[in-house]
Amino acid sequence: MYKSFEFTKKIKSYLLAMIVIGAVLAVAGIAMNLDHTHRIWANVLLNGFYFTAIAMSAAFFVIVHVLGESGWHTAVQRIPEAMSLYVPIGGVFMLLVLAGMHDIYHWSHTEHLDEILQGKSAYLNPMFFSIRTVAYILLWSVLVLWFRKLSLKSDSNYDLKLFNKQRGVAGVFIVLFAITSSTSAWDWIMSIDAHWFSTLFGWYIFVSTFVSAVAIVIILLFVLKSMGYMEHVNDEHLHDLGKYLFGFSIFWAYLWVSQYLLIWYSNIPEETIYYVQRIEDFGFLFYANVVINFLAPFLILMARGTKRKLNWLIAAAVIVFLGHWLDMYMAIMPGSIKHPEFGILEIGMTVFVLGVFLYAFFRNFAKAPVVPENHPYFKESFDYDNIR
Amino acid sequence: MYVSPVREPLISGEKSYSKVTEDIYAPMTGKPGKLWFGGLTLALIALGFGLFSIFITVWDGIGTWGLDRTIGWGWGITNFVWWVGIGHAGTFISAILLLFRQKWRTSINRSAEAMTIFAVMCAGLFPLIHMGRLPLGFFIFPYPNTRDVWVNFNSPLLWDVFAISTYLTVSVLFWYMGLIPDIGTIRDRLVPGIKKKVYSFLSFGWTGSARHWARHESMSLILAGLAAPLVLSVHTIVSFDFATSVIPGWHTTIFPPYFVSGAVFSGFAMVLTLMIITRKAINLEDYITKAHLESMNKIIIATGSIVGIAYITELFIAWYSGVVYEQYAFVNRAFGPYWWAYWIMMTCNVITPQLFWFKKIRRSFAATFVISIFVNIGMWFERFVIIVTSLHRDFLPSSWSMYSPTWVEVGIYIGTFGLFFTLFFLFIRFFPVIAIAEVKSVLKTSTEKFIKKGK
Amino acid sequence: MQQTTFVSGYYLDDKDLVEGIKALQDKNIEIADVRTPFPVHGLDKVLKLRRSRLPRAGFIAGAMGTAIGFGFQAWVFTEAWPLNFGGKPYLSVPSFIPVTFELTVLFAAFALVFGFLLSSKLGPGADNVIFDEEVTNDRFQILLEVSNGNSEQLQSELQAVGAEGVQHHDV
Repeated sequence: MYKSFEFTKKIKSYLLAMIVIGAVLAVAGIAMNLDHTHRIWANVLLNGFYFTAIAMSAAFFVIVHVLGESGWHTAVQRIPEAMSLYVPIGGVFMLLVLAGMHDIYHWSHTEHLDEILQGKSAYLNPMFFSIRTVAYILLWSVLVLWFRKLSLKSDSNYDLKLFNKQRGVAGVFIVLFAITSSTSAWDWIMSIDAHWFSTLFGWYIFVSTFVSAVAIVIILLFVLKSMGYMEHVNDEHLHDLGKYLFGFSIFWAYLWVSQYLLIWYSNIPEETIYYVQRIEDFGFLFYANVVINFLAPFLILMARGTKRKLNWLIAAAVIVFLGHWLDMYMAIMPGSIKHPEFGILEIGMTVFVLGVFLYAFFRNFAKAPVVPENHPYFKESFDYDNIR
Repeated sequence: MYVSPVREPLISGEKSYSKVTEDIYAPMTGKPGKLWFGGLTLALIALGFGLFSIFITVWDGIGTWGLDRTIGWGWGITNFVWWVGIGHAGTFISAILLLFRQKWRTSINRSAEAMTIFAVMCAGLFPLIHMGRLPLGFFIFPYPNTRDVWVNFNSPLLWDVFAISTYLTVSVLFWYMGLIPDIGTIRDRLVPGIKKKVYSFLSFGWTGSARHWARHESMSLILAGLAAPLVLSVHTIVSFDFATSVIPGWHTTIFPPYFVSGAVFSGFAMVLTLMIITRKAINLEDYITKAHLESMNKIIIATGSIVGIAYITELFIAWYSGVVYEQYAFVNRAFGPYWWAYWIMMTCNVITPQLFWFKKIRRSFAATFVISIFVNIGMWFERFVIIVTSLHRDFLPSSWSMYSPTWVEVGIYIGTFGLFFTLFFLFIRFFPVIAIAEVKSVLKTSTEKFIKKGK
Repeated sequence: MQQTTFVSGYYLDDKDLVEGIKALQDKNIEIADVRTPFPVHGLDKVLKLRRSRLPRAGFIAGAMGTAIGFGFQAWVFTEAWPLNFGGKPYLSVPSFIPVTFELTVLFAAFALVFGFLLSSKLGPGADNVIFDEEVTNDRFQILLEVSNGNSEQLQSELQAVGAEGVQHHDV
């Protein structure tokens, strides 16, 4: 009834081509920037982090629906689930970042630190940082694989106990991720601007990648639908995904404003430096970030109709996906390379990592039925509708 | 709409549509019991004492409070933030849970929203009284005056005026629009007379026409869409009162979302405290069941844990920032003269809600009742800790001070309880406590046993 | 006022109601109104009700709120009485966000509620005819308008499609 996905040679060759093109461009970019290693490592971090965090956010999407006793999401659940399995692969890129630590994080030059950074050195030191990085990757990989295993079990064996166990794992997941999502964002991103601090930062980064994960679910749904799969996904499901994209884009803007407004208002130099740097050196991009990630999805998806039409929805999703890449760029680059740089290196690296991400997704998506048919709330997903 | 048989029914007992009407209408009929009169009398006494305390404040001046030049905000603002926080559950339930299609909201949204309105009314009193000169309260409105000066739109305190008044207005509109079909139901149960005329007037001529329902649903959905960010904005703006400053312990960027989460947390606790008693007192046990309790307690764990994470985040970043003032503020909170307030807050807000991870506890009315009171206390202390401990250690050590409230401040706080409960007692007597129409709309799929009438 | 007469039939279950309506529609009988104790799922589609224009009204009012909220603050601080607050620019956009947002919501909410009340002709003192007081309890009522005195015929039609009770109303 639900056509299972086949990872055909054709798709495989397209993706491999994408990976190769990306790799070639990236290598060319690296070759051109050998005297500029900051930029190379910053790009590894940018794409390594962005897609790993998206994979974790995709897992979070499933987990939060399990805990919220949701039924509708089961129709699309396997997409974010397969996305989440990218975590161990993305982790490899993050481990790579450790090798370039000195080029990104100036606190790692322990031999000459100022007084403030000396004060932080109990937390920000290469050893502890590496331990934390490895710990996040291991922990997250275990969590996503554990949940996936239970989810796949339900395909062959319908048992309510299994469902309860899924909820238990989801509970463990959410507690651990609630803590590590913030701390990992402090470690990997906030510490680039080592003197600067913001308590909101972890949540801000998490919501940014969460919106992006929803956007990718929509994009992948579109791709799968155009290949003739996922035909059971109807307008109501699209509407709900659209609402997520719309609502969380607004929520992202809310957090953006909260952080900006409080720092702007209090006008404490230690804090405003973060924005001063971004506005002075990245001026246009700084404002573009808000327009792309808030105004665009807000205006496109405000009407009911656009959330139910795949073409509009996909437009918003693509904008948001690219927009949050820019958001991460704005978080990472000013502290590490100081001035905006965009060229073959950035494009190549992004295409390469995106290619790997998609390859992993399709491979994992093909490994299991496209819907968890034995999920106790599965049928609910096909008999509900949104108020007009 | 299909509902999985695995799901626990929300409403217990054998119910038909008319049985629902009957059950929810029952507490409004007959003579009110002794409990109700007793409760109302107590509430009115508290209200009277509060009014007297306000009179003293206005007559003798704000000097009757325990404030000084270092600690300019004490119980007054603590109570303001606490009450506004409590006022966040109702609209959260009826707006955000509507958007998330949570059916269990139907049994509690009406009363929770009433509590929201009453709590916001109580909250609004404090800034007004705090001005010291009550009759000059209208100065906060932007109107063209003879001095040609406008209000300061740069001030978070003014944003509060707009946020709280918009919130109160929109909550009242949302609540009343949901209420008119149910007032119509009450109107049609009454025998002709003055009471029927009053309810008829209040029902706005509701007929139950399909066209009206379609529009009503559409309106409710968009109002919910508007109210959802509104709920967030209100406590966000309250948090701006603190966070836009440069006071260590106040200025931190996590405040907006963390205040909102704390508000929903305390609001749910208050709704639980009251509804656990109310359901017993007016025999609505079938409609507010363990299924509701469990769902609400899950939200308590979620929001409580977010608050807990925010505490730890603040603490960690205070250390990480390397700012000595921030570091001192947090050490002082935990080990300074107000250490007891800090540890009460930590215990009540971070530890007690974690007990709800145990299924037995989150499904027990007695345990929930006790924990909900702990949360109410904890969230009051949170505001007290934020306000008083951050202020009492000034940048200038010669200005360091200690604060304790006078009987006048305590009296006003008691008075707001009086106001809140007076309104609540009147509400449960004269309005249906549960959204009759909304419960009927989910009855078929969510009741233990639905009795179908008709051929 | 011209006198209108109606015939009503009621059901005790929402599913039966929807089936009854469909049966009447098959016979090309025009339905004047349907009255129910709660919003019946899918009824708007069966009755082919036009989608409400309230969202549009809410949007327009909200946009007005945004413009008025922001415009007023900007006017006050740049034209009417520019004041220096903590060295901030007169046109300090971030400061204007909260009030602008609140007014957007307030305007939109008013437009929605009053739009709903006006378009439904509901409001304090509205004196709509209630044909059956049990509609707000558990009756799902179909109303048919009588023309050329075909009341009896309509009553039997309603009975034929399974109505529990049938009545004639003079307004």
